[in-house]
Amino acid sequence: MSIGLVVLYGLLGILALVALARGDETLRLSARRAVEQFFILVPRMFLALMASGFIARLIPSEVIARFLGHEAGFIAIVVASIAGLIVPAGPVIAFSIAAVFARSGASAPALIAFITSWSVFATHRIFIYEIPLLGPSFVRLRLVAAAATPILAGLLAAAVSWVVDIPLVAAP
Amino acid sequence: MTTSTEREDVPDGDPAENDGDGKAAPPVLGLGLLRKSFGRGFWGFAAFAGVSAVLCYVIRGPEEFASAVEDDIQMLLDTLPRVIAAMAIAGLIWVMLPRDRLTRLIGSDSGLRGLVVGTIAGIVTPGGPSSAFSLLAILGGAGADRGALVAYITAWSMLGLQRILVWDVPFMGAEFSLTRFLVCLPLPVLAGLLARRLPFAVVLADPLGGKGRQL
Repeated sequence: MSIGLVVLYGLLGILALVALARGDETLRLSARRAVEQFFILVPRMFLALMASGFIARLIPSEVIARFLGHEAGFIAIVVASIAGLIVPAGPVIAFSIAAVFARSGASAPALIAFITSWSVFATHRIFIYEIPLLGPSFVRLRLVAAAATPILAGLLAAAVSWVVDIPLVAAP
Repeated sequence: MTTSTEREDVPDGDPAENDGDGKAAPPVLGLGLLRKSFGRGFWGFAAFAGVSAVLCYVIRGPEEFASAVEDDIQMLLDTLPRVIAAMAIAGLIWVMLPRDRLTRLIGSDSGLRGLVVGTIAGIVTPGGPSSAFSLLAILGGAGADRGALVAYITAWSMLGLQRILVWDVPFMGAEFSLTRFLVCLPLPVLAGLLARRLPFAVVLADPLGGKGRQL
């Protein structure tokens, strides 16, 4: 059982007690809302998770890694940002790919751009959660507003790495 | 913990009146709900999953394919209990959220402070995407401004403390994670400022039917 799950169920317990203490229709209304959303999300989530697992296997991590070295500079940051865009999967896969990049000699700014890009654009989240819950027009607004953030993060990290060395510990 | 989930005080009146624009929730339990969960979006996903499965089998071979299926099923089993908890939490927050106070905090007149509040809330929101996006949808329906919404979800995705502690630090090391945290810290506010200036029309989806709020 992970810490995240404990936190989540702890929070649920507290909120349920608060709702219970109100002694009105809160619990019934919340339960109905929860069931409705669950049934709308879960069938899509099931398929999107399957798809993301297959696509993750198709990503040519070793090929991409060749473009991420120190000598590549700005290009490495751009390639890493694009690589982050095409990882349609959760942290398990994203960080394993980051570890592959790190072992192949990717620079710290490129890795920061990659992780930032993946975290902001993670396409599976857009399809599983954002489009059904927020709608495509919000997705467009958010994507355009945040489009430059991975590159900015990479550039800021490059500025930092001129001043101090950013040590990397890529897990096996 | 987000500001909205920490609130233990409750708004006055019947919770049904807190339903965004005051209307009662449409009765979607039953057949209508089934139709929604297996609607067009579902079949689009099914086609996408089918194509990616075939590609994986053809390009990477049957062994890699089998191990992908195994991983997928494991991931689904790990995700389900989280989604159940997240949906239950989102349902409770949706009913109990003090909407007027929230509007003052991160509404369209909240200025830079609203963006900073959104960013901090995103950083401390625990849980995966099912909780964060449900909360985002609730905040949007309750009157949060587009800049604050973008700042919130951007901060959750790039700076979420739980993910950094569980994933970034063990995989990439503490110094690397701290550097990434610091260089990314101003970016959600920047994205929020930009979102306020973008001339896009935004209509929030209402997954349960109904007319979404315009941002």
